[in-house]
Amino acid sequence: MILADVFSFLPILLKAAIVTIEVTVGSLLLSTLLGLVLAIMKVSPTQLLSVPASVFINVIRGLPIIVQLFYIYFVLPGMGIQLTAFQAGIIGLGIAYSAYQAENFRAGIQAIDPGQIEAAKSIGMKGPLIMRRVILPQAIRITLPPYGNTTVMMLKDSSLVSTITVAEMTRAGQLLAASTFENMTVYTLVALLYLALSLPLIFGVNRLEKHFGQGNRRRDK
Amino acid sequence: MIAINNIHKSFGDVAVLRGVSLDVASGEVVCLIGPSGSGKSTVLRCINGLETYDHGDILINDARVDTQQADIHALRTRVGMVFQRFNLFPHRSVIENVMEGPVYVKHEPRQQARAMAEELLDKVGLNDKYDAYPNQLSGGQQQRVAIARALAMRPDAMLFDEPTSALDPELVGDVLTVMRTLAEEGMTMVVVTHEMSFAREVADRVCFLHGGTIVEEGPAKQVLSQPHHERTQDFLRRVLNH
Repeated sequence: MILADVFSFLPILLKAAIVTIEVTVGSLLLSTLLGLVLAIMKVSPTQLLSVPASVFINVIRGLPIIVQLFYIYFVLPGMGIQLTAFQAGIIGLGIAYSAYQAENFRAGIQAIDPGQIEAAKSIGMKGPLIMRRVILPQAIRITLPPYGNTTVMMLKDSSLVSTITVAEMTRAGQLLAASTFENMTVYTLVALLYLALSLPLIFGVNRLEKHFGQGNRRRDK
Repeated sequence: MIAINNIHKSFGDVAVLRGVSLDVASGEVVCLIGPSGSGKSTVLRCINGLETYDHGDILINDARVDTQQADIHALRTRVGMVFQRFNLFPHRSVIENVMEGPVYVKHEPRQQARAMAEELLDKVGLNDKYDAYPNQLSGGQQQRVAIARALAMRPDAMLFDEPTSALDPELVGDVLTVMRTLAEEGMTMVVVTHEMSFAREVADRVCFLHGGTIVEEGPAKQVLSQPHHERTQDFLRRVLNH
């Protein structure tokens, strides 16, 4: 590994790292919103809501993420839906992960003591208000550690969007390696940069797990 | 005030209520006693629509309790419920637990709701615990917060589902004192309880349930001291001797 190479590759990879972060954050937001909606639909007593949510979740979980990405990027334009690679990447990863997020949230929601819901009903609260004021605030705490783990997985799986030409870190690495043949230097740098992003996240998740695992509840407001 | 007319309920093949009728007048305190599985908690839970019933009617001030109807939420605000396991909201402080209903269900201004919550917490003897969280309180304190939370809706009646069964013996007294005060103030109360001394002192009427029906009912002292029915005698002998 030659130091001069490192210095010439690093700026390119760091720029690509920003794209990796953008893809991760974008699809995290999308998967969180969509996952929350799916989870609420799935626990609904109305089959009109719960059945479509279950079907959607199972179909998405049953498909490889890479196939979903190809479908969105290569097939949708044929139906008149044009997306940039960046948009397709975020939407594809976001939808793919929404199924896992939905399962995280559903587990959190269903872990709430039914007595909580009865107490809320007994003071006259209706379904949506119970969800917002009683269930979700408690479910979020239960869901945080698995949510963190999913985020780490999303960060790593953002490399999949390299297959649809998004110039994130893996893609930039491939291009650099192909043009310089410095495979070892390039991929070592890429690996180190991924670790630099993922390890702090992993430590954060571990702390969350410790905090919530002991049955501690936040006492401040 | 509360009129229960011949209600039946089954869980699958198991009949839990087989024709229960009970009228509770305004200001009356009625205790439901009986062995576990007799249906006493189910009756209570049917009154505010936490359980459905298959036949019969429950009327609260002439409005029928029907979980399918949109007005069930409004009806519930008029009947407070206190649970065996308190069911406080663990993510909210004591005062927030009490303010939750007035602010988010009745849309009262926060200041007004807070003033009332403070008043209620003072009343149940927790004037120094406003900002504590439920897990920082003893069971007896939590149950008193739960009572204040139910009272904050200004209900016409209060339902108590074995409110002291989950408490350590030394904490039972404080909760019963609060309930006694409420009864003296004229609150309409239906209490499922195993506290026979409380029933004897506070209840106007005691109903003994067995196998999903009211086997015997009457003035507290009569039912508890001179029960007519063999099953009541049997039950009381076991409860009082243990």
